[in-house]
Amino acid sequence: MPLWDKRRHVWLLAGLLVFHVLLISVQVPRGAKRSLLERAFFFVLSPVQRAAVGTVRGLGDAWRGHIALRGVRRQNEELRREVFFLRQESVFLRERLARFRSEREVEGLLTAFKDSLLLARVIGVDSANPYRSIVIDKGRLDGLAADMPVCDRLGRLVGRTVEPISLKESKVQLVTDKDSSVSVVSAVAGLTGSMTGRSEETCDLRYVLASSTGGEEGEELLTTGFDRIYPPGLPVGRISKLEKDETSPLFRKISVQPHFRFNTIDVVAVIARRPGGSG
Amino acid sequence: MRETIFRDGFRAALAVLTAVLVYSLAGQVGPELIVVFNAFSVIVLYFAVQRGEIFGAILGSVCGLAQDAFSLGVFGVSGLTKTLLGYFAGFVAKRVDVSTVPRHGGLALALSFIEVVLGMGLAALVRQEPVNVHGGALFLQPVVTSVLASGAYALERRLMARRTEPG
Repeated sequence: MPLWDKRRHVWLLAGLLVFHVLLISVQVPRGAKRSLLERAFFFVLSPVQRAAVGTVRGLGDAWRGHIALRGVRRQNEELRREVFFLRQESVFLRERLARFRSEREVEGLLTAFKDSLLLARVIGVDSANPYRSIVIDKGRLDGLAADMPVCDRLGRLVGRTVEPISLKESKVQLVTDKDSSVSVVSAVAGLTGSMTGRSEETCDLRYVLASSTGGEEGEELLTTGFDRIYPPGLPVGRISKLEKDETSPLFRKISVQPHFRFNTIDVVAVIARRPGGSG
Repeated sequence: MRETIFRDGFRAALAVLTAVLVYSLAGQVGPELIVVFNAFSVIVLYFAVQRGEIFGAILGSVCGLAQDAFSLGVFGVSGLTKTLLGYFAGFVAKRVDVSTVPRHGGLALALSFIEVVLGMGLAALVRQEPVNVHGGALFLQPVVTSVLASGAYALERRLMARRTEPG
């Protein structure tokens, strides 16, 4: 009997292992660039994910919309109240903005802002670590590309779109991912630094000099726009702890609690184009 | 022969789709559930014990790559670990009697524990930094995987027994 037939399974295992080692070796120097094989897998399987989650959501919506009508009226009232106050806020802000710009410019800015937003639903989380990425149900056919900021329903930063981006599904790198970095400034003390993830619930605020003063627990962090990915002024998180960094005396050790929670990112907004600027 | 290959290929494709479906729905229930529940490992173990090492290795490879495609990690790490998981599950099942549920569970527990540790080691080696074990929750994954895989095996055995019952 030929050696191949006798030890066919061993040869197959060896072949598969070599294939995967080569795949990993090719992937590592490419960094964030995704291989063609990975994109192909995502392209084929993400519609399955979308269909599964869409079916379950559809059943849930049917239940809520037609059978479990209790609470719908109360929810309606709450939403009406919320919309009322949001409209008042909008009028107030328009009036303030009109002091610095013409009515036409303000209308143009607001229209551009609305046009730049794309609503998407979250259809999946990272298969290895939920704090790294999510999958949303919008893709290239909807005008999405890589490096578009993503916010939760309250306008707080969640992350950015990354490859692979399929026709109708995209991956979003969360701000809590280890490889994520956001240029931020604290709202009160003006501390600037880079908020980097730890692939867990909290993040680090890095490169804040030990000699800098100010900053306290609970202080809000906003994007600066310096990284040219995230527009300035987006709420990102709050400082949760400040201490001396024993390993690096040059900088302070600051922990950050990001704003987003998994229960508020069922629906997200992708900033598909910069309002008033190029996308 | 061709028909067997076609049938096995179809089974493998269905198995991968099932794994993607279960993983997607688990993520909707609770994102943190993904840390302790790996649908891809459960599917690979379940089918590899029944179908042998060749099927197990190929299914493990495809399921692992599918898992990697939905992750921001290095593409290929889960593919490699699940190839080994599927191969050795099928290999041991052919040579050792794992027909009882406790033995089946023991095999699943041992192999999925090795898979988790190997995956952590590879990820740490590639990224040159320690891996997040989520406060130890990651080590619950082999327990959950073995319970679910053995549970599915036990359920299948019961259904088969009922079908072959006389009268």
